[in-house]
Amino acid sequence: MRKLFPPDLLARDGRFTRVNNADRFNDPRGARGVAGGRPGKKGNNRLTPDLPEAPDAARTLMHGIFVGEIQALEGAGRTCWDFETGKGSDEAPFELKLDMARQCWDEARHCEISVKLSDWMGTELGEFGESAFLYEAACNPDPVLRLTGVNRALEGLAIDVFTTMKDFGDIAGDPVLEFCEDWMLADEVTHVKMGSDWLRRLTADDPERRANALEFQRVVDKLFSFGGLRGETDENPIKLARRFRELAGFTDVEIDDISNVSEEATREAAATGARG
Amino acid sequence: MASVTVTPDEWQYVAFDSARIAAVAEKLLGETGLDVDLKIEVDETTPLGRVSMTSLQPLVVAVESGAFEDAKRPRQLSEVAVADVLGRLLHRCRDRLDPAFGEPPPDAALTLQQSTAWDAYAVGRCARLGYPVQRQRRLYHFRNRHGFNDVADQAFARLWEAQGLTWADLEAVCQETDAARSASVG
Amino acid sequence: MADPKKPRPAFAPWDTRELPGSFTVEETAVRVGNYKWIEMKLFEVLGGWIATVPELDVKLRLGTHCYHHAWHAELFHKRLPELREMNPERLTLPANDELVAFVDAMTAPEGQGETIEKLVGVYRVLIPHKIAAYTFHLNNTSTITDAPTIRTLKLVLQDEFDDWRDGEMMIQSLIETPEEVDRAARHQASLEKLMLAAGGIAGPGSIGNPYALQEATA
Repeated sequence: MRKLFPPDLLARDGRFTRVNNADRFNDPRGARGVAGGRPGKKGNNRLTPDLPEAPDAARTLMHGIFVGEIQALEGAGRTCWDFETGKGSDEAPFELKLDMARQCWDEARHCEISVKLSDWMGTELGEFGESAFLYEAACNPDPVLRLTGVNRALEGLAIDVFTTMKDFGDIAGDPVLEFCEDWMLADEVTHVKMGSDWLRRLTADDPERRANALEFQRVVDKLFSFGGLRGETDENPIKLARRFRELAGFTDVEIDDISNVSEEATREAAATGARG
Repeated sequence: MASVTVTPDEWQYVAFDSARIAAVAEKLLGETGLDVDLKIEVDETTPLGRVSMTSLQPLVVAVESGAFEDAKRPRQLSEVAVADVLGRLLHRCRDRLDPAFGEPPPDAALTLQQSTAWDAYAVGRCARLGYPVQRQRRLYHFRNRHGFNDVADQAFARLWEAQGLTWADLEAVCQETDAARSASVG
Repeated sequence: MADPKKPRPAFAPWDTRELPGSFTVEETAVRVGNYKWIEMKLFEVLGGWIATVPELDVKLRLGTHCYHHAWHAELFHKRLPELREMNPERLTLPANDELVAFVDAMTAPEGQGETIEKLVGVYRVLIPHKIAAYTFHLNNTSTITDAPTIRTLKLVLQDEFDDWRDGEMMIQSLIETPEEVDRAARHQASLEKLMLAAGGIAGPGSIGNPYALQEATA
């Protein structure tokens, strides 16, 4: 079996359909529409149960999380395989591989949880198209960049999403959604902390590598802000979960930076919409 | 015979086909027993998916393009999605045009509970016409509005199987589930 | 209760553990290093295969089993310094080149249509050999001096038996035609031959030598 397995070859059964990233980004309608989207309810776009389209929005989001969990599983598994064991910059330490194997188990459970949750919410597996964003971030040839791209940026986004959805379940009185999100959130905090710890350990004597890794994280964070999906204002459907990010090893400065990146993405999306 | 008009005729932002949308709509008009002209105005500039009936007589439906889109293939038309959206909407229009149904408030004035209860009743009828509806999805919508409890589930099951309901029946369901929610909070 | 001052033996009547064992400290360390090496190879390939397997249930089980074997590797890794090997990497080795050839062949399948081969290599060849070697070790080491290895082996064997059953059931559910039976059997046979050449996961003597007594007296 080869090292570095390409995203377009990710194995799926016939229920799943891959959405080409180019198609997605080149959609002339943009994420919110040519006119930049309809105004939110008094500027409030937070995904809460009182929105008319909330149940379907929650279903769509959770299906996206489900395929993200599959790709996180695949990405963690590939980090076990793709690198020789060692302490060189193109190797992965034994203990890092153990953490990635542990993450495989966690992500496999998240997939199981997501399948049960899909049944509960009336979502068919593969009902929505799947893009390979997350796995692509897990293909970086430098293990440190994988950890910042996946564990810190994407699993960090998962913390934000799960916190929002846990609140959603609580407000809606949905015991299954709240239960599932609570458990997955616990694991995500662990994974993000894992990423934070390994970033510091592996780059302790290599400031350039650390800077590259953090820049890669910034790029992924911005990409996954989806033009304002996640942020700190009520206009963002997904709220940046400061408390859980602190538990996961983010400093206040780092959280502020993610917040700024999200705001930047929101402004850019609005500008794109206005031009369209 | 009822006619269906779909706008725009030519598509700039999505790969939709007006004739295919019209064909699905015409079939549904016949199946729901609606002998009225229908105008479907698609806003192809947005990927969002809101749908609304902007006029009952003449019947005009406004649709954001995401509602007719294939969830697996961006910008591509899904006839299943068209039938799902229009089937629900046309059953509600048929109810509104039926004097025996009663006089529901305008759509904009409906509570989320009323709207979801009506949807359950409408989509249940689509299921019996043979359309591939998602019962569990509709149940999830219903539970979000009426409560995650046995009373709400039983109410949903009745609405799903029902025929010949009136607006008063739907309101009674809302009162029943509201009482159950209040009791559980208390 | 009897008089608390009354002497009792250190070994209760039901405790029949004895000192003698088949392995010295050095021999045990070498075997444990072999175990760690094979567990590493196994968890690494299970992780790598997850992306290549289209069957959703298999994909998720591989993720779970990947961690089981990583944990085994960690347990063996931690045992090595206790066996006087302060640099565990030095003994994290394959038993011989033939075992490397076996692992290379077992990890070769990549295609989406090769799930049967992937699973057969792990669950019909490697894991049965691991269970055999670990059981031999468990039953032949000193129950007093090597109790920590025994505890590790018992924990590991519990996972091995569970995963073996999981894997065998996945294989049985994937095989639907006589041709697929042949495919599985062919792949199993070719890997078994490589494992035979290796002599087991710890090399010749992985499960002892049943002819040793005859050879000694001949």
